[in-house]
Amino acid sequence: MQVLMAAFLVCTLLSPQGRGGEAWPTHTACRDESLQVLYQSCDALQDFGLSVDQCLKQVKPNINIRFGIILREDIKELFLDIALFSKGLSILNFSYPICEVDQPKFSFCGRRKGEQISYAGPVYNSGFEIPEGEYQVLLQLYTQDRSTVACANATILCS
Amino acid sequence: MMPHTRLAAALILAMAFFFCLRSESWDPCVQVVFNISYQCMELNLYRIPDNIPTSTKILDLSFNHLNHLNSHSFSNFPELQMLDLSRCEIQMIEDDAYQGLNHLSTLILTGNPIQSLAVGAFSGLSSLQKLVAVETNLASLEDFPIGHLKTLRELNVAHNLIHSFKFPEYFSNLPNLEHLDLSNNKIENIYHEDLKVLHQMRLLNLSLDLSLNPLDFIEPGTFKEIKLNELTLRSNFNSTHVMKICIQGLAGLKINRLVLGEFKNERILESFDRSVLEGLCNLTFEQFRIAYFSEFPKDDTGLFNCLVNVSVISLLSLDLDSLEALPKDCRWQHLELTNCNFKQFPTLKLNSLKKFVFIDNKHMSTFTKFELPNLQFLDLKRNHLSFKGCCSHTNFGTSKLKHLDLSFNDVITMSSNFLGLEQLEHLDFQHSNLKQANDFSVFLSLRNLRYLDISYTNTQVVFHGIFVGLVSLQTLRMAGNSFQNNLLPDIFTELTNLTILDLSKCQLERVSQMAFHSLPKLQVLNMSHNKLLSLDALPYKPLHSLQILDCSFNRIMESKEQELQHLPRSLALLNLTQNDFACVCEHQSFLQWVKDQRQLLVGAEQMMCTQPLDMQDMPVLSFRNATCQMNKMIISVSVLTILLVSVAGALVYKFYFHLMLLAGCKKYGRGESTYDAFVIYSSQDEDWVRNELVKNLEEGVPPFQLCLHYRDFIPGVAIAANIIQEGFHKSRKVIVVVSQHFIQSRWCIFEYEIAQTWQFLCSRAGIIFIVLQKLEKSLLRQQVGLYRLLNRNTYLEWEDSVLGRHIFWRRLRKALLDGKPWRPEGTADADSRQQEATAST
Repeated sequence: MQVLMAAFLVCTLLSPQGRGGEAWPTHTACRDESLQVLYQSCDALQDFGLSVDQCLKQVKPNINIRFGIILREDIKELFLDIALFSKGLSILNFSYPICEVDQPKFSFCGRRKGEQISYAGPVYNSGFEIPEGEYQVLLQLYTQDRSTVACANATILCS
Repeated sequence: MMPHTRLAAALILAMAFFFCLRSESWDPCVQVVFNISYQCMELNLYRIPDNIPTSTKILDLSFNHLNHLNSHSFSNFPELQMLDLSRCEIQMIEDDAYQGLNHLSTLILTGNPIQSLAVGAFSGLSSLQKLVAVETNLASLEDFPIGHLKTLRELNVAHNLIHSFKFPEYFSNLPNLEHLDLSNNKIENIYHEDLKVLHQMRLLNLSLDLSLNPLDFIEPGTFKEIKLNELTLRSNFNSTHVMKICIQGLAGLKINRLVLGEFKNERILESFDRSVLEGLCNLTFEQFRIAYFSEFPKDDTGLFNCLVNVSVISLLSLDLDSLEALPKDCRWQHLELTNCNFKQFPTLKLNSLKKFVFIDNKHMSTFTKFELPNLQFLDLKRNHLSFKGCCSHTNFGTSKLKHLDLSFNDVITMSSNFLGLEQLEHLDFQHSNLKQANDFSVFLSLRNLRYLDISYTNTQVVFHGIFVGLVSLQTLRMAGNSFQNNLLPDIFTELTNLTILDLSKCQLERVSQMAFHSLPKLQVLNMSHNKLLSLDALPYKPLHSLQILDCSFNRIMESKEQELQHLPRSLALLNLTQNDFACVCEHQSFLQWVKDQRQLLVGAEQMMCTQPLDMQDMPVLSFRNATCQMNKMIISVSVLTILLVSVAGALVYKFYFHLMLLAGCKKYGRGESTYDAFVIYSSQDEDWVRNELVKNLEEGVPPFQLCLHYRDFIPGVAIAANIIQEGFHKSRKVIVVVSQHFIQSRWCIFEYEIAQTWQFLCSRAGIIFIVLQKLEKSLLRQQVGLYRLLNRNTYLEWEDSVLGRHIFWRRLRKALLDGKPWRPEGTADADSRQQEATAST
């Protein structure tokens, strides 16, 4: 019986992820006493890694994040859309150009399909305090022709 | 038992592994272009699929598990031009792997952990122009077997493990090489020896990217007399000192474009010394770009001394906030200042400047005049500028301006109609807040303007002469504005050269019939995101060149079919999606038109109904005409039915008694009559009936049974019912006693009419007329039917003489006897009475 169980386990681990089938697992971007950030990839093609260095309710300016992904698309241009919800209500919608054709701001701009990009550095923000509650954040990175590069459903739990 | 279970378990395990590891799917690749382009990305392939046509030119096999490329791996695809093998886990490429691919121009090997690359791995690729080997564990260019690829133009070996900058000998075989990307490698030192090949041959057009290499040292003289097209050095140096030495090491280089800087996420320099750029004096270059240095000096004192002869200069994302100390003999022609820290306009004294791009400077607030006499191109977008007194040549100190972009700024107040700027060809105000554009003909003098954008400028068009003067205008964008009364008036009169017009999001509800009458060259018209209620085609009739008309996102419910014929014949695309179509039979002809014009309509399948409720969110194309025909039929049938029923009702009402009579005829049939005759007479003649008729007929031999209303009618039943049921139904004959009174009595006439019907319906020849007294002909004529009948039929006339009486009774009896059944019981009665009589006697 144990042998069978082992075989089953190995099988599930090794078998390739079904495309578009099951949802990706939920990861923890950071966790602290009062703040917890969880995320799940909403891109059918791939999961990705994200971590936030400090997990404080009082968000400091320029917090550092780490982010890594293998590109499925060329990113001549790259845009980030952020939508923040609380209790199902939209609080904030934000669109930000990360890479523009003429001025590659970041070293990963202009990278092509198949390349692995990683970002370890600050997110430029002003410091603010997160009010208590539960928030949903939808993050979307997409290219000039609206192909998704990465997509995440994040949950921020602040107590 | 034990060994058996173990064996079984082992078997299951083996099978599980087999299926898991070799779970190769045979999903077919996606056909992008039939027989030409195939996409097999991420299909879990373990080998190159063989079900793809040999004529394929573009093949994407990325994100599979090919592991190993044998020789002649792609011999099935001799026509291949583009082959993408990104992330295919390729570790080994054997000799002649790509042999036969004589047309291949692009080969992508990104992200393969190549461990073994045979010497002849790339042999045969006689047309290869672009080779991408990013992230392929490449340690040195020397060993890279590409020396024979004479046609190679672009070599991308970024993000590898290359330590040496040495251009291998075989580069002399690559005379067409134009792009060499060595970024993100491990190159630290550059020696004179490394570029020996370049000294021997001239790669005049080579662009070289060395960004993200940890450069430490460039041997002076290395680049002496070397000519390059472009050199990019971003995020290379870990100190200003190293940077200074390396820039000095570039001495002697002749280059078209030099790019220095860092990436926002790869900032290494902690300080920036003004003397760093001094080394640039020893270089010859045309264009210079510097970007994203975090500690860049705020003012330019002494910074640009070595950039005097540069013609194009771009300064991006620097802390620079003034350009006051530029060398006097600067020959800059193009200057770009993007995302810097300027708080006011730099007072440039650059007579040579032709193009000035000054964008995204966040701390600007007001526009100040400047003097650039040769300026032709001015881009001032996204500066939060407010601009009072726009625009005339005094603002910019030039009258040569052809391109002016003031978009995405703050309030711009129009006070002059571009005096001295008559050469303008391109003018962009979008998303700035335009004031006073409506007060006078602002663009009057811009007779050369080709492009005008006033989208989202909060302009409410009131003044109809707003576009007067724009005789050369080809493109007019004015989305997101508004019009007085939400009516598009005739404001484009002089714009006879217009080809593109954008009027989206203007809250338009109506379009004046004359709005487009003077635009014969218009090809593209965008009317989307307005509030149009119907598609009125008449205004578009004069647009003889119109090809694209976008009316999406309006509130169009329908259009008249006859009007749609006015749409220009040249129209190739019409967008009517996202409207409020009413899919009701009332607009059946329009809906049919939609179906017929499916070729013309963009996204006809996405056109949805919003009315009626049961059709909501259903495609307009799904509307079936049959439902309308059905409705029509239902309506006509029901109308007809109602008509028939009412007619029938009326008839029944009118001929109720006749019907009763008919029913009676059927019910009683023939023969079973109770009475021999029903007597119709006027009550005025009752004496005669009682004394003469009843006496003579009922008491005579044989006796006749008469039906008389005063005697035989059943009380409690309506007179009419009695007449029919008792009188007609139960009698064999009808005796009509015609007299002066008879004609005057309505009841009598009614009874007589019923009698006639009775005679007809029950097909009995049974009406016997007795004329009691001579009738006045004039009175008789009032009863036309009776008059005619008496003229045609034989009738009995009452004569009060003995002979006349005798004949009368004889004739009457004879008439009544006709058809009288032989009644034995009657005779038996008579017999028995006779017998009794004899017996008693």
